[in-house]
Amino acid sequence: MNMHKIISGSFFILAMTVNFGFFYGEPTVLEQHSSYELFAAIIVNLIATVLKLGDRTQLGAVLLATSIVADIQLIASATVWAFAIYVIGDVNIEAATAIVSLSGGALLANIVSVILFVGDTLKSKR
Amino acid sequence: MNEQIVWIVLKRLRTPFLVIIITFAISILGLVLIQGTDNNGDPYQMTFFDAFYFVTYMASTIGFGEAPYTFNYEQRMWVSFSIYFTVIGWFYGIGAIVSLIQDEALKKALNRNSFRNHVRNINKPFYIILGYNGITKSIIDRLNGHDYRLVVLDKDEEKIDELILENFYPNVPGFVGDATNQKMLKIAGIHQKNCAGIISLFEDDMVNSKIATISKLLNKKIDIIVKATSKAQLEHFRSMNLKHVKNPFDIISKRIYYGITAPYIWLLEMWMYGHILKLKKRDQFPLGKYIIYGKGRMGKAIQEGLQKAGIEYVIEDFDSQRYIEEKNTTIFGDDEDIHRLIELGVKESACIIAATQNDLLNLTILNKAKQLNPKIFTMARENSLDDLNIFQASKINKIYIVEKILADATYSYIARPLADLFIQEARKKDDEWARIIVYMLNNITGMNPMYFETVLNDANAYALTLRLEKGENISLADLRRSRADRNEMLHVVFLLLKRGDNIYLMPDARMNLQIGDELLIVSDEENYSDFEYIVNNIYELEYVLGYTSS
Repeated sequence: MNMHKIISGSFFILAMTVNFGFFYGEPTVLEQHSSYELFAAIIVNLIATVLKLGDRTQLGAVLLATSIVADIQLIASATVWAFAIYVIGDVNIEAATAIVSLSGGALLANIVSVILFVGDTLKSKR
Repeated sequence: MNEQIVWIVLKRLRTPFLVIIITFAISILGLVLIQGTDNNGDPYQMTFFDAFYFVTYMASTIGFGEAPYTFNYEQRMWVSFSIYFTVIGWFYGIGAIVSLIQDEALKKALNRNSFRNHVRNINKPFYIILGYNGITKSIIDRLNGHDYRLVVLDKDEEKIDELILENFYPNVPGFVGDATNQKMLKIAGIHQKNCAGIISLFEDDMVNSKIATISKLLNKKIDIIVKATSKAQLEHFRSMNLKHVKNPFDIISKRIYYGITAPYIWLLEMWMYGHILKLKKRDQFPLGKYIIYGKGRMGKAIQEGLQKAGIEYVIEDFDSQRYIEEKNTTIFGDDEDIHRLIELGVKESACIIAATQNDLLNLTILNKAKQLNPKIFTMARENSLDDLNIFQASKINKIYIVEKILADATYSYIARPLADLFIQEARKKDDEWARIIVYMLNNITGMNPMYFETVLNDANAYALTLRLEKGENISLADLRRSRADRNEMLHVVFLLLKRGDNIYLMPDARMNLQIGDELLIVSDEENYSDFEYIVNNIYELEYVLGYTSS
């Protein structure tokens, strides 16, 4: 049992599940997507990214890469949201779809990351 | 940037990043959740963007006031908490980054990295010099940039600092590292294609031998120039197939031998090292009895040279350290010493050699001897280059500086290989031959000729190679014609021609040239530049060959 593994593993999976929570719902209807959940997804993803820093293995590098992709997409999603409200002044269907689908992209990256993590765990014998 | 450094930095930054993210997240979330009051007194909820904006400038202690509306007391309470909370996070993060920059391990890794990059970016052939000191410094002074680039490794950090402060141009990369460590040699570029060789002139024969062995294993192609001061060591290096073993004491021994038995061969050699090409009276070694003070490596080398030359000598076992301890002075010449000098026969001797390891003692020994016998020929060993002026002022006939001899020999081997070869070949001849050569050089090129080395190839002799490629026969004599008037002779002498493994000493003027021939040419600046014109310029060459008449 490795404490670091438990903490980082739980954050990887939490990043994916929280992200899914935000993503789930009608993409055109922004009311079905909570801004709190997006906030949580961004924070958890950032933490997951930092936890992957400094791992010199090949797998560590790939995990870090997927995590960075997820961060970029989630932050982009939040940025689009803020831009739609404060600059355009109206969250139309196009903006709402973009917000949700960007988080969907991040979700894919999260899933890849978790698959890699699980695969690595299964591969190790001890 | 090196992978390793990135990983060190990232791993160290993990915790500070985590702290900053978490403090920010909690502060933002708190602000979003707390109900605020707008300018009309109506309740409002901050959006995430508002909160993010406010926390960003609050945490970094910039402070812009309260936004988007003045805060109510609930908000102010939370913000008071958040200020301390996030500022601690920031300070911790910044502190961690600062301590990371100051980290010794990281600094070392960064230095090593920049050294490695410097070495990698060298595109000329280069030598790796191990150990930075007086000898290697003078090698760097002369070699750097002209013929080769150089890289230095030294165990001592102060020495490397000295090297960096020297500000050589082009830059000589240096790094602190143990030269006997394979890894350091690899970082210094021993595997690189343009690495010409390694120069190891340590005082300790064991170290040199270790380095030679490692280098030989790491890269078979490079030149390994090592110093060896004992016979056994010399044999060992020979058995390892190293051709360039430099023994300063051996050089001194040979110089004394040739100086006595064949002064003109000695003169040719000294001329290669910068002496003028004229045998002055005070250069001539006297015949008669020699006294050697000091029985160290230098004393023994001199003894060997004298023995070979068949000269009568006495060698005095004089330990400079013991003398200083016993008499508590570095001035030689109390009654006991004078008595000893007379006992050794200073009054009827022809020459006295002071070869101890203390410069001041060497000087005073010679002074006393000169007082007792004003006609005596004096020779001294000079140990450190710092006291050069005292030695020059004290009118000693010959001064041997071990460091300088070693530096000269290494330099001439690397940068003047043909001159080196010429000396070796000349030593096989007799003194009469050398005398004729010296007279000939004096007659054609004057008392102070220079020598040049060139390879007949595309880069050095463009016009000539074009003609040779066509299969024309061009002889050495053809190239000696003046470009002003082809019936006149240029003042150049071809001293040596090297073709593959064949060496032609004083090559026949009718000899036809081939591409790739290496020539050792004696001349002065002006005539040599004429020669360069002729071999490089098509029209000049045609003229001296007699194709056109103008």
